[in-house]
Amino acid sequence: MVVDSSSRMEIDQETQPNSSDKNTMLHNTDGDTEMNISDEEQARQAIENLKGEDLSEKIAATNKLDYVAKVLGPERTREELLPFLMDGVDDEDEVLSVIATSLGKLVPYVGGNTHVHALLVPLEILLSVEETTVRENAQASAQTIAKALPKDQFHSLFIEMISRLATKEWFTARISACVLIANSFEMMERSEQDDFAQQYAKLCRDDVPMVRRSASQYLGTVILKIVDAMGAQAVGTGGVLSNEFVKLYEDLASNDQPDSVRLHTIENCIAFGQSMTNLQKKGMDALTKEEVNLLLKKIVPLVAGTIEDRSWRVRWTAGSKFANVVHAFKDLEGNYAIDTLVPAYERLLQDPEAEVKTAATLNLAEVAKCKCKVPCPPASSRAAEKEDPSSRPRISVARRLVRKVKDLTEDDSENVRAALAMVATDLAPLLGKEATIADLVPHVLLLLRDTTSEVRLNVISSLGSLNEVIGVGLLSQSLLPAILDLANDSKWRIRLAIMQHVPLLAKQLGVEFFDEQMIKLCVGWLGDSISTIRTSAAENLKELTNIFGAEWAIENLIPALGDIKRHKSYLRRLTAVNTFTSMSTVMESDLVITEILPLLLMMATDPVANVRFNVAKGLATLAPKCGKNVTDTQIRPMLTVLVEDPDRDVRYFASKTVKAIDETK
Amino acid sequence: MAESEEPQGESTSGSRLPPTQSSVPNAPSVSSLSTEDKHYSDLEGWLSKLSVGTPLAESEVKLLCEKAREVLMNESNVQPVAAPVTVCGDIHGQWHDLMELYRIGGSAPDTNYLFMGDYVDRGYYSVETVTMLVCFKVRYPERVHILRGNHESRQITQVYGFYDECVRKYGSANVWKLFTDLFDYFPLTALVENHVFCLHGGLSPSIDTLDHVRQLDRVQEVPHEGPMCDLLWSDPDDRNGWGISPRGAGFTFGQDISEQFNHTNGLNLVSRAHQLVMDGYNWSHEMNVVTIFSAPNYCYRCGNQAAIMEVDETLNKTFLQFDPAPRRGEPHVSRRTPEYFL
Repeated sequence: MVVDSSSRMEIDQETQPNSSDKNTMLHNTDGDTEMNISDEEQARQAIENLKGEDLSEKIAATNKLDYVAKVLGPERTREELLPFLMDGVDDEDEVLSVIATSLGKLVPYVGGNTHVHALLVPLEILLSVEETTVRENAQASAQTIAKALPKDQFHSLFIEMISRLATKEWFTARISACVLIANSFEMMERSEQDDFAQQYAKLCRDDVPMVRRSASQYLGTVILKIVDAMGAQAVGTGGVLSNEFVKLYEDLASNDQPDSVRLHTIENCIAFGQSMTNLQKKGMDALTKEEVNLLLKKIVPLVAGTIEDRSWRVRWTAGSKFANVVHAFKDLEGNYAIDTLVPAYERLLQDPEAEVKTAATLNLAEVAKCKCKVPCPPASSRAAEKEDPSSRPRISVARRLVRKVKDLTEDDSENVRAALAMVATDLAPLLGKEATIADLVPHVLLLLRDTTSEVRLNVISSLGSLNEVIGVGLLSQSLLPAILDLANDSKWRIRLAIMQHVPLLAKQLGVEFFDEQMIKLCVGWLGDSISTIRTSAAENLKELTNIFGAEWAIENLIPALGDIKRHKSYLRRLTAVNTFTSMSTVMESDLVITEILPLLLMMATDPVANVRFNVAKGLATLAPKCGKNVTDTQIRPMLTVLVEDPDRDVRYFASKTVKAIDETK
Repeated sequence: MAESEEPQGESTSGSRLPPTQSSVPNAPSVSSLSTEDKHYSDLEGWLSKLSVGTPLAESEVKLLCEKAREVLMNESNVQPVAAPVTVCGDIHGQWHDLMELYRIGGSAPDTNYLFMGDYVDRGYYSVETVTMLVCFKVRYPERVHILRGNHESRQITQVYGFYDECVRKYGSANVWKLFTDLFDYFPLTALVENHVFCLHGGLSPSIDTLDHVRQLDRVQEVPHEGPMCDLLWSDPDDRNGWGISPRGAGFTFGQDISEQFNHTNGLNLVSRAHQLVMDGYNWSHEMNVVTIFSAPNYCYRCGNQAAIMEVDETLNKTFLQFDPAPRRGEPHVSRRTPEYFL
């Protein structure tokens, strides 16, 4: 939104004389004169606009409520501003949404913490309105206010407010109650926590699906906080977790719930695993292995359940978060969790929906990173039924998952293969050298020959980790054809991407890899039909000069640039000018003077003005490199000609360069 | 290049008036900059704002339009343009695709451009698009040329989106008024090195020679009929002779007309825009006429490619086709799930 300020300035000047008294008053109380005037102005304007009809001005003014409060002072803020705001509850949602945010910002201006409770009245109203964004902003403000309240008032006023919201007839208030209970649980006293745990359980079984959705969304937070506050007692037999919340989990994950509720099952399970892990780290006082196992046997099947869910959206969420699931459970004692989760993850990798497979595949390396051992996969599905998995030898998760890579390289969906290409090489450090060469490299080579250019590109982009384990030398024979192929891709963004990986490959493969063919390729990009590629190609040659040194560049690149410098298209010649200029920035002075400067000066007489003014621009970069002598004897004389050029843009850029050279003196 | 002195004079005289109105109440320290420096620094400041998609403030648009009028009013109805130059067709408020066009063709001033009209309407960013093009024109009057399209008109923009967009983005119709007043000064046609005749629509039965075009009084709203209207509205057709246009304005003209016109005026090509072509460009009338359309996936739904035509120093023509710019924030491999699923 563009706002023209001129009309407002007038209002300002009109109101100035009336308020001069107040102005001086404010000066006395506060020292900072300048600050006050601008605050005062903003506040006065804001009040005007708040009363007005114009919606956009009203919103802008509401954004400045903290200024208004500051100017009014605590007492008038409490007694006039807050009631005034509440008169407008029937306002547009846009205005309410800003008011909801402002309530948090008003905390410092109501006259100290003992008065913060004044904000609770408007807050409670906004927490119950229908518009989601208003409630969300109010919920955020509630958090700020809860922290600022004195302890006794929190335990009385704030707690009472949550109780009222949780039992209000209109469901939007109950949605807010879910959020508030979750957010402020750790600030409550023990008895309050017990009550609210029960209250939360009720909200989880609310009749309105939207409330259940919100309860489901925050269930994980509540669990973490309950375990944090009550410790093993909550988890053990008879504790609130095993008694109440496990049942809630099962209810909220059940197939009778709408998709939007089941969607949160995975996150809740993550929270559960984390809280158990936290407990275990603390020493698990009074919690027996049996109790843990009992809980796990209820929770982990819920994860497996989402993988079979009828809604692909739920399965997609599981796929995209599965690494978090594994990491939340991997450190727990016993093998039950990991032995169930890894096969479940493998099923996600074979999901009928490509989107789900893609999301799961992107997690491949992250899942493999957990250091657990799992049983070997069964030799066949029939074998799986007969034998007990625990009788099979145990191998690392990475070793087990690498067996899935083959199927994924043959997937019908190019998105799946592209995702695999992005992460597959990250398995290398987990597998170690031998297993990488035996089990991973053959598939990587396959991906390098994939029919889709994105897949090939993604492999090349992620060669770094493979290089660290086995050295890319092993791949270079397959690499070169893949690069040459991508370099001629019909999609220009693919060409750009492969080109931008060349400096990295140069570092990994060394100068030997840069044979005639590669040099021809890199220089060839300067002549691409797409401007962005030409510009990046110039940068690319600069990078290569930086990596292999100026001598190498002069010997290998400069001669190859001959064609482009005499190209019949001015846009290619222009690229030559820019290449010379940017290469000069990473070369030693004497080489710039002998090798680059003459080339640039030669192009200063190009028939097309665009080339000439790019030379003029480039000379500004070269001059400081060349030193005063060469600048005076070679650069300045050329600029003297260019500032008299028939073209105005050449004259402009030439005189700009002259000015820059003069200033550095 | 005979004209190269003129814009220099214009820019100083053109910026003499506006800055005195606006910069005096501001701050005296600004006056240490010369008027010319101020002119350039204003424009470059605006261009860097626009290049990230931020529209100018209304006061800035006002200043820009004053500067632009000074430049444009001195241009001819048949504005001579030097080769090399890159010729572009309709943009229609697709600002992101204009940025893609610069990525393909190069950015001004390094690449010289000739735009053949229809910068506004249909797309959601007419304000940003037209402001940016006008800004480039004023900053680099000899590197960038802009012609008038049938949408650069008060009437059409009230129906097809530019008016509403201005009101939505600025809270009033002031900016719409500033721009539509400026549109009256846009040149109608351009002539590249005396051989390629560029215009938005097509030929007119009332115009036989380029001198007829030069004699038109163009500073007015696009009329409903007559030669000026035809130049902005006509289309080439497979049938010979003149035909009634289904658009309700302008005419259709056949290959015989194009050949005759090119012959009479010593031209080898009529280059025009105005019609959606799926490949972004389309030869017709046995290469007497070319249509160029530079809005990819027109109206965000047509699925067409866009194209621009690079004319080099020897009048060789190269077409560059392009697709819509990938939308920001979209993941590389997987489509994001729409929010309404949640």
